[in-house]
Amino acid sequence: MSNGSSTQKQGNSPAIEVVGLAKRYGDFEAVRGLDFEVKPGEVVGFLGPNGAGKTTTMRMLTGFIPATDGEARIAGHDIFSDATNARRAIGYLPETPPLYPEMTPTSYVDFVARLKGVPRRSRKEAVERALGRCGLLDVRGREIRQLSKGYRQRVGLAQAIVHEPKVLVLDEPTVGLDPIQIREIRLLIQDLAATGGQTVLLSTHILAEVDAICQRVILLDRGRKVLDQSLTELTGGGVSLEEVFTRVMTRDEATEPGAEGEAA
Amino acid sequence: MTHTLTIASRELRSLFVSPVAYVVLTLWSVIAGTFFLASLIGFQERLIQLQQYQMFQQIELMNLNDELIEPFIGSMWVILLFLLPAVTMGLVSSEKANGTDELLLTSPISIWDIVLGKFLAGAGFVTVMTAIVAFFPAILFVYGEPELGKTISGVLCLLFVSITYVAVGIFASSVTRSQLIAFVFTLVLLVMLGMMLPFIIDISMAGSGLGRESGIAQTVRWMSTGSHVDRMLKGLVDTADLAYFVISSAVFLLLSKTVIESARWR
Repeated sequence: MSNGSSTQKQGNSPAIEVVGLAKRYGDFEAVRGLDFEVKPGEVVGFLGPNGAGKTTTMRMLTGFIPATDGEARIAGHDIFSDATNARRAIGYLPETPPLYPEMTPTSYVDFVARLKGVPRRSRKEAVERALGRCGLLDVRGREIRQLSKGYRQRVGLAQAIVHEPKVLVLDEPTVGLDPIQIREIRLLIQDLAATGGQTVLLSTHILAEVDAICQRVILLDRGRKVLDQSLTELTGGGVSLEEVFTRVMTRDEATEPGAEGEAA
Repeated sequence: MTHTLTIASRELRSLFVSPVAYVVLTLWSVIAGTFFLASLIGFQERLIQLQQYQMFQQIELMNLNDELIEPFIGSMWVILLFLLPAVTMGLVSSEKANGTDELLLTSPISIWDIVLGKFLAGAGFVTVMTAIVAFFPAILFVYGEPELGKTISGVLCLLFVSITYVAVGIFASSVTRSQLIAFVFTLVLLVMLGMMLPFIIDISMAGSGLGRESGIAQTVRWMSTGSHVDRMLKGLVDTADLAYFVISSAVFLLLSKTVIESARWR
């Protein structure tokens, strides 16, 4: 599909490139000096306790909020100077799926396809494909407000993939779902990465989720990156992810003076 | 441009499936019908009265435009001040409440696309409202001979003033995520803009040494919709009045765009 525009250094340039990204709200530093890279086709888990800066980072990458400092490139496009192209390259599912309850999945995904600039000839096809991949064909004509939370999450995913973005940014895609729905969404994400070749950056605070779908983990704590390792390396020595996580977090807390209040 | 239309058509469809739209349109039609009937009966009674007193000169002076259509559209304008906020209150605030602003603002579209799309949708809705009002004077053409130009000028006046108020409503809706606050804020702005400004300036000028005809007083009076509406209802289509509608729409749309844009920086 994306043959025309992808002639530029697709192979060697990282799908996501973040250098010294920071966000300050007054005195509060939500994200400080974040650096990381994600290679094309990689599935990376953004891990960390609540308030670690996961959502803030994702919002900066997607252009919802501007960064205070630093730079970031999505598929080679700078998120500030080349915002339109960077946004076109991203599919984004925010923490709460951005749905219009009075619309049907079909009309909603079609609306998003228009917003993202999917050309008119291929739009219908793109909408069908997105609905199909997310298993929404059965409920396509119902109002979104009538759908279960799991289905709504799927509509949110369909919205994120309709323009076949190179990079998918998913903010807690399984939060608030029941175990079966969680499994379904995970399978869907795995499938997207495997067959669509999409780069996925997903945030979560569920360790098992990272274990199940990610190849690499970036651990954030209080706005800083405290760990960036591939999953095989991490758990290679027979240690569970939970042990690693706890170890890193406690070590981090020990080196951080004045953080006692947050430990609870 | 395409994105503006995308936003507008989605908004318009959502407006027409929302219960608020139907409550507003029903109320609007009922009020329009009642007012029209009342002014028609009033007109007839006055005519009969004048005939009884044999005041033929006054009868000569009576006409449908000045004594029926103009006050009718004028009173619908007042009703508009109170009903329009219900139409525009959700235009931007509901996006924030739904979290859909995150979708719009991360899409490869500009904030102008969002603001103008909303404006277009609102303009489409008030065109329907104006058409409902226009229906009643149209009946008069079947049974009488009102002046066409004057009637059209009155209907257009209502349309322009409604569209201008949509821009005001979008601004009020963009400062909050609560539809209720947006409603009240729009109402306050419209009542100020529509009716209160001349009174406020007269009262405050009376105490100051500036007098009622000072530059400030005249500027503020110009900012009020009232005088422009009055002239246009009388059939005087003046570019100065048209400029008023264009300028105030543009100002409020620009304010909305600025508010939406600056919200991301916080």
